[in-house]
Amino acid sequence: MTALLRLTDVSFAYAGRPVLNGVNLEVPEGSCAALIGANGAGKTTLLRLASGSLKASGGDVLLGGEKPSSIPSRQRSRMVALIPQHLEVPFDFTAQQIVEQGRTPYLGLVRGPARADRLAVERALELTDTLGLRHRIFNELSGGERQRVKIALGLAQGAPLLLLDEPTQNLDIGRQAELIDLLHRLRGEGMTILASIHDLHLIQGNFSTVHLIEPDGAVISGTAEDILTPENLTKAFHCAPGRHPLLRHNSFALGAM
Amino acid sequence: MEAELDKVAVGSGASLPREETPGTRASERAHAIAGAGFTALIVALGVALVAATMLAVSVGAVRIPVSAMLAAMTGRGALTDTQHTILFVIRLPRVLASSLVGGALAVSGLMFQGLFRNPMADPYIIGASGGAALGACIGILFLSQISIFGFSATALLAFVGSVATMAIVYSLARTRGRTSGVTLLLAGFAVGTMLTNSTYLFELFDPNSTAETRLVAAWLHGTIGIPEWKQLAVVFCLFLISMGMAYPLMRRLNTLALGDDYAHQLGIRVEATRVFVILTASLLTAIAVSLGGLISFAGLIIPHVARLLLGPDNVRMLPVTALAGAIFLVVADTFARTLLAPSELPVGILMVFLGGPFFLYLLRNGKREYTL
Repeated sequence: MTALLRLTDVSFAYAGRPVLNGVNLEVPEGSCAALIGANGAGKTTLLRLASGSLKASGGDVLLGGEKPSSIPSRQRSRMVALIPQHLEVPFDFTAQQIVEQGRTPYLGLVRGPARADRLAVERALELTDTLGLRHRIFNELSGGERQRVKIALGLAQGAPLLLLDEPTQNLDIGRQAELIDLLHRLRGEGMTILASIHDLHLIQGNFSTVHLIEPDGAVISGTAEDILTPENLTKAFHCAPGRHPLLRHNSFALGAM
Repeated sequence: MEAELDKVAVGSGASLPREETPGTRASERAHAIAGAGFTALIVALGVALVAATMLAVSVGAVRIPVSAMLAAMTGRGALTDTQHTILFVIRLPRVLASSLVGGALAVSGLMFQGLFRNPMADPYIIGASGGAALGACIGILFLSQISIFGFSATALLAFVGSVATMAIVYSLARTRGRTSGVTLLLAGFAVGTMLTNSTYLFELFDPNSTAETRLVAAWLHGTIGIPEWKQLAVVFCLFLISMGMAYPLMRRLNTLALGDDYAHQLGIRVEATRVFVILTASLLTAIAVSLGGLISFAGLIIPHVARLLLGPDNVRMLPVTALAGAIFLVVADTFARTLLAPSELPVGILMVFLGGPFFLYLLRNGKREYTL
């Protein structure tokens, strides 16, 4: 398997404050990986570096073997889609109008959407189970519905690599389960997924790889069993053993949750 | 908090049937006019504009019946010389000017609202009108003899003033390569108010109220003059050019609604798009200001009403706001010159009385639009 995304010794600092430091990370084609780390550890930053909307201050980011900055922006938007945590939209755009924006990299200066674009939008709505929401106002949707429409927007972009920033945040457990189902379905469609996740109990069995951003700004990677150990979590989340139910057990017995 | 609102789906798996909620059926649309209704609306507005123009030119001190005009147009009759003169020298230029002012203001408002992602933006609020007003005042008072291509110095200075103001506002709001919409709006408001009010100083420094100062005063209240045909032709060409520039920008404004970061991700050059939008909208503002002075509310209200009917898709809004703005100003200006005949009410003032209450009504009833 080839790596769709590869970060080699990447570092990044916001106005002198280092966030990521010596990050090595690989996302092979067809994989479904979770990115975890404490608040402010740099999960969003890492996803934005991967999507090319931020430029690394050191090291190499390779998207499909090329530097994101050297790929023309329209070309790049067909390779990777980043679904942000928050999408603030003014006015009363419908869900379908939002999803249609995903086709922007395929449209000309004047030429409107063609048949292929409409089909891609239909497919994105269908995959995310949002066909029934298409004519509803995006700003009036519930959190779970909005999340699925955002993913449809990312899918409409037609990129093989999907980066999701906290897709399960603020969702109730039923909507979280729906979202995980959706990620499985997307993986079945051949998508490659890298999602930052706060809800650690969702990881086991759903993500093939876990990337953990450590307090020093480096990243350790492995399977859920390897990474989600009480020692790692205690260190990464500055949380003393016994302070949180997840850390009270010797092993990470998440199957029970 | 968002999860609490989630009362729609009862099942956990995607395969479970969902409860029917309002709007889930494809037949139910969020906006009143969609699909084929759109074409019908454009045709209806086109017909309404022609009808409004005919009615507007028929009323006045000397009434010219529409039937007489229709007969003359189809060759089954003729207008008297007086009627002909009134029609082609006085009324038609003014009515066409008001339709251009209305169309330009409405489209300019639409573009500024899209750019600032804010339904409160319009050329008046954002400062473009203020800059155009100052430029035009200087033109009226000091350079009234000069004209280039049938274009008075007034019109040219209005454009220069409008673009220069937007350039200043834009550079004020720009920090480290990024521009904040809110800062842009606030900077525009401050600069625009300063410029608009500085034009009143001209009145102050000119105590023996000359024809020019009276013209400036009328013009600051918003009065559509009677332009020369040559000037009208040039302005019409400029209007067509700016509409041609506006069309490809509309889809980009839709994308910009997702925010700068997302638009960038989708391959949009955000800053370049902004500059083009500001240039086009400033050109439209200058067109309106050079013909009609300062007219508030038209640029604010027309896009609002269009958005309530059509939804916020800017591509569809463009022709509708242009036509609706033209109709609105033709009607308003006709009232302005006939309501208190023989004296004339500045259309800008009429607009405030018409537009203010209507705007407040919209504010109370169209809450959905204001969720930012």
